[in-house]
Amino acid sequence: MIVFAASDKGGTGRSVTSANLAYQRALAGDDVCYLDFDFGSPTAVAVFDVPAAPRGDGLHAYLEGHIGEPLRLDIWRLTEHAVLRDKPNGAGRLVLFPGDGSGGEFATDQDVIQRCTDLLLRLNSEFDLIIVDLSAGRSYAVDMALEVTARPEMRGVETRWLVFHRWTRQHVIAVSGLVFKEFGILEAGADRGHDKAVLRDAIRFVRAAVPDPESPLWSHVSPAQSAWMHACDETLRRLAAEQGIGDSRVLGTVPLEPVLQWREQLITDADVLSTQIANKETLEAFTELARRLTDDTYWGQL
Amino acid sequence: MRPPTDAADVVLACGEVRTGLLPSFQPLDSRAAAHLLQLRADERVRVSERPQLYALSPDTLTGVDCRLPAVDGAKVRVVGTVAARAVLTEGRVLQATAYFGAPASGPDRRQPWGHYLVRPGLLEPFGKLPEQAVAKGVLRGPQKGDLDLGLIAEGLLGQLRRHPLLDQNAPFKSAGTRLRWVARRAPDGEGPSITRFTLAEDQLRTVELRIPAAQEASAVAGLCEDLALHDWLLTTVVRMLDTSRLGAVGGAAAVLALRPAVDHLLHLWMPTARVDRTLSPLWEVLEREPGFSRQWQTSVQRIRDQLALQAIPLLREALASR
Repeated sequence: MIVFAASDKGGTGRSVTSANLAYQRALAGDDVCYLDFDFGSPTAVAVFDVPAAPRGDGLHAYLEGHIGEPLRLDIWRLTEHAVLRDKPNGAGRLVLFPGDGSGGEFATDQDVIQRCTDLLLRLNSEFDLIIVDLSAGRSYAVDMALEVTARPEMRGVETRWLVFHRWTRQHVIAVSGLVFKEFGILEAGADRGHDKAVLRDAIRFVRAAVPDPESPLWSHVSPAQSAWMHACDETLRRLAAEQGIGDSRVLGTVPLEPVLQWREQLITDADVLSTQIANKETLEAFTELARRLTDDTYWGQL
Repeated sequence: MRPPTDAADVVLACGEVRTGLLPSFQPLDSRAAAHLLQLRADERVRVSERPQLYALSPDTLTGVDCRLPAVDGAKVRVVGTVAARAVLTEGRVLQATAYFGAPASGPDRRQPWGHYLVRPGLLEPFGKLPEQAVAKGVLRGPQKGDLDLGLIAEGLLGQLRRHPLLDQNAPFKSAGTRLRWVARRAPDGEGPSITRFTLAEDQLRTVELRIPAAQEASAVAGLCEDLALHDWLLTTVVRMLDTSRLGAVGGAAAVLALRPAVDHLLHLWMPTARVDRTLSPLWEVLEREPGFSRQWQTSVQRIRDQLALQAIPLLREALASR
């Protein structure tokens, strides 16, 4: 299965959340690969804690035809993260295909599409789960993903989309626009030959960095502040429903996590249990999201 | 080693084989296999059904004028064609090979293309060929600007994977392998030999061979495809056993994890079924060290034992209900 991770803007926690999903699925025994298609600002090497960004041998160089094969990094073996280095028994493979540091967006001609298709087909026969992190907004990366998945040779490959957004008025409106409005993902997909209804049913939203008014983080706020937060949350829920991204289209919610505000990283059991720097709720949200990725009751027609 | 059509002596043949599971739910029958591998309109796919279903595509040619990979700073420019072909075994395992042969020396000036086209699969060096430096270079892998056999093989594999016959719904996930091989000419009067077989990381294998002068490069390619096929089978089944977590998980889960091996892989083991008779003794070398069939038999036995164990409760149940 291929999962594309898109977002309306930068800073939505898209990369760090999808990296955590990849990590959680690998822990559960799946063979997982993570493709950094965030051509503007590839960050995955930092999130997975692997040394030295590649120079000219990553996905960018591959798609442009400069090299025959993109660099693949075995995370369990190469990471400098103390916890990750000990691959747990029974864990699946976790492989990162990094972008190129000097990248930047580029036009998607037919050769690029062909190379991208070939790569995804090859990885699909090797990995249980392929997570593709796309640059924010209606980027070239998003267009390429739509174009490639519309090709006839990809019809047998199951594809899902996660669209990440933050829990603010601006973001809710922007992300709804990204998917449903004119020049949005659905329209762009239909232009490339996707069935709009099928594509819509393959898209779910993830609310990231959501402050939970009930969380202990806010236990010291004044009653007035607390009431205000609850009211805001309620207004946002109504707005989201009006914008077509109500709860039924949400795959999950990731709570606001101080650790991730400071540093984009994988959240491990150790972060929650031994050092206790991260919240239990964050880890639970990641494991639950990871599980729902392939749980069909959360997908399909609404 | 003889090139297919020219009398010029080939002193070095090199190739790379990529091996993987065909991305299709059902294995292809002989007709579909022939259809898939019909890479050229003017030449037929060779299909045989005994002792197992085997389809071999015609060679396709890629014209090149570039440097060969070489160590020790040697710069070797060659011109000619690289041959590529695909093999499908039992409608299940797909392989693509890119290979070439090279003579000890070539003309100092580039010839018209017609000269190279009548010598398919032959790359002629400018001047003398530094055999050893090139052999080592090919095994190490190409640097920027060098001839990349893997790229040609992978390109062919990519083209086949896109074929409308394939539903991209393979019955299980598996990683492909790459096998790089070089064959230098054996001293006169000596038989073929394997100098080295290594497993590198990232699914890469390398083989060094010595081959008598009378052998064609395509026969060596056939031998290496057979090696690559069995190495892939072994790698895949061993990995399946590793990840099935035998003993750690419940029996039903283990059966589920191992079943694809029984359904799709165990019957494919048939070393040297199609290898040229003069080359088949090479397989026996690998049987002694590292002992391919020994490890295969052990793995197969583990799978069968596991399935037999899982059947015991069913038997007990059936007896109890009588």
